[in-house]
Amino acid sequence: MYQYTEFDRHFVRARAVQFRDQLRRHLDGELPDDDFRALRLQNGWYVQRHAPMLRVAVPYGELSSRQLHQLARIAREFDRDYGHFTTRQNLQFNWIPLDRAADVMDLLADVDMHGIQTSGNCIRNITTDALAGIAPDEVVDPRPYAEILRQWSTLHPEFAFLPRKFKIAISGAREDRAAIGWHDIGLQLVKRTRGAGQAPGPIAESLETPRSGASPVGNDHGEIGFKVLAGGGMGRTPMVGSVIGEFVPWQQILVYIEAIVRVYNRLGRRDNLYKARIKILVKAEGLAFVDAVNAEFRKILEHDHEGVAHLIPQAELDRVTRSFELPAGLDAQRAPKPDPAPLTLPVAYRRWLERNVHAHRLPAYRAVTLSLKRAGHAPGDATGDQMDRAAELATRFSHGELRVTHEQNLLLPWVREDELQALWLAAREAGFATPNIGLLTDMIACPGGDFCALANARSIPVAAAITERFEDLDRLYDIGDIDLHLSGCINSCGHHHSGHIGILGVDKDGAEWYQITLAGSDGSTLSGAAVPGKVIGPSFAAEEVPDVVEAVVETYRRERRPGERLIDTSRRLGPLPFRAAADAVRRATAAAAA
Amino acid sequence: MRFIDPRHDRWHRVEGEDGPVPHPDPQADRLLTLEQWHTVRETWPQGLATGVLLPNTLDADTLAEDLRGPQPRLALVVLQFPKWTDGRAYSQARVLRARHRFAGELRAIGEVLVDMLPLLQRTGFDAVQLRRDQSVEAAVRALGFFAGHYQGDVLQPKAAFMRDLQAETARAAAPQDAGLFAGQGI
Repeated sequence: MYQYTEFDRHFVRARAVQFRDQLRRHLDGELPDDDFRALRLQNGWYVQRHAPMLRVAVPYGELSSRQLHQLARIAREFDRDYGHFTTRQNLQFNWIPLDRAADVMDLLADVDMHGIQTSGNCIRNITTDALAGIAPDEVVDPRPYAEILRQWSTLHPEFAFLPRKFKIAISGAREDRAAIGWHDIGLQLVKRTRGAGQAPGPIAESLETPRSGASPVGNDHGEIGFKVLAGGGMGRTPMVGSVIGEFVPWQQILVYIEAIVRVYNRLGRRDNLYKARIKILVKAEGLAFVDAVNAEFRKILEHDHEGVAHLIPQAELDRVTRSFELPAGLDAQRAPKPDPAPLTLPVAYRRWLERNVHAHRLPAYRAVTLSLKRAGHAPGDATGDQMDRAAELATRFSHGELRVTHEQNLLLPWVREDELQALWLAAREAGFATPNIGLLTDMIACPGGDFCALANARSIPVAAAITERFEDLDRLYDIGDIDLHLSGCINSCGHHHSGHIGILGVDKDGAEWYQITLAGSDGSTLSGAAVPGKVIGPSFAAEEVPDVVEAVVETYRRERRPGERLIDTSRRLGPLPFRAAADAVRRATAAAAA
Repeated sequence: MRFIDPRHDRWHRVEGEDGPVPHPDPQADRLLTLEQWHTVRETWPQGLATGVLLPNTLDADTLAEDLRGPQPRLALVVLQFPKWTDGRAYSQARVLRARHRFAGELRAIGEVLVDMLPLLQRTGFDAVQLRRDQSVEAAVRALGFFAGHYQGDVLQPKAAFMRDLQAETARAAAPQDAGLFAGQGI
């Protein structure tokens, strides 16, 4: 994990002191709501349905046991004893009174944490693959770059008030587990042979004519670089990012991103909230956007006073990379030791091995997901006690390190293969061993209308009803891999656009309705190229949703060819048979339409 | 950072009853709209202290010609914050300073709140006209919380990774004494 320096610590403490000053002025009546709003947002404080919500930054999802224990303490002492892990690898609290906000920020700073830029129209927490640094298919570890980007974007004076929020995701593996196409900027680390020429015609389908991509200055002096996508995003107008730079050498990435964000700050729309994201600008301008970015990039390097000051020196990459070396005490050379007697083990353990345990680049190690998707809990939620238990498991089995995954689970990155059984027993006791990772009940869901002031409809009861309907593990395994994503409103925090089955809460005449989409993709190999799902008919009533999901799933089971997953079958057949099956289970909506 | 009191400002706009006068006479210390400036640029003598208001919808490059050379035509550029959460002028300021080497006064007007001060200072503003209800004292305090930042800016062009952070951190007192840093702007 990244190790905070004295400078980093001093910085986070200074931020807590600054926030305390702003909060005091607000509570004293010197700083009205309208002026305080953007300040608190940039520290992670929303005002929600019941109380302020605090979104704590977990930079690129890396957490230590010590930090998680502290989050547990905050949940217990300041909240109603739970927190919610998000798709952007952060953690949200829901019930902390605003007048205690500054005390919480101090407690976070004690463990090198904060809420900087977890909200507001600024560059948000940088996210990456939860298997960063341990995945067997990794080309380049994205974490050092994520950390360098985190530092560069933190309190950037020019980019604190952009037209709209701005999200960056990085992937360093062959498999995209960070959904980079769905981000304002998506970065794919690539390695190319030294001296290879500029790749021909990068270009994105959404841009009209092929032409060569960004030609950053001097791209022959490094073999690691980034393929850069821009203009992805969900919301009301889902769009997948376009490649605007085929190869930007790592040394130049801060300058290239500065160019993108400056063009966006200058030209992004501010007259309409729904058209303010960079995706709208990229779509509207097409190649002119790419040209503007490249022109800005060259001007910075060629004309600006100290324009080269943000080229990343090798020494800095080395310094940050050292933080991400193997945890102390871990033996990388350890010989693999196979599972002693897998056949004699209970089926539950075998299932857990199959679904929750992942391959590791070190042969004697595994990554293990602690499932936060279980009956009786909202997806991604953990109580203070559960956070403590997860932190203890990390201390005992994973060198004190955890990851928050995009799918809203926790992951232990450094588990010895010969300790898997012991971990399974302990995880089962703590309620983290539901063997459902990647299956239908491992759904992504936002907190929805129970908490969120923006939501049109509730998510948690719908998620609970679906979880209950698909409790039977044999059936769940037969259905196989499914990304089910649920958002309580078009802001798409639950990523419904990218779900194989997407569920979107909508408001019609003050009632809650749910629109169902099929065949969306986050961009992973299993799901295919990133694409938003297609709507199957008019919205459904809340109580119809589990029936609709079941109807879709049963249609798939009936129609599938050998080896096909739901996403494959739904692509092959198109939405019609699924729509017919879904229409057949309408009750309330059929009556309403009659 | 200078705090401008509009009642005692050296700079004056040239306005009549119907708004900006279309063809103002040459005079020092006039603050012109961009349209006025473009009208008089060819006829007003060099060396006359002139200021211009640049709307935040325009590229900072609009003023490139006026800032070029050893004796730039403009001594003041005024940038606007129609809403305090509209951050376009930060980019304009940075480009005027870093790219066009503008060394005159760079002033923020409009909805300028005390908590914007660190951003304004770091992007190159050296004068602000605060919104009427804002306190100069709070604005000065707002400048004092951080001893240093990660990314370079107009005041400190070097990123943290190019600086001696140990020395910087050691120089910084505990953040509780943040008042000590007031005005240092580092």
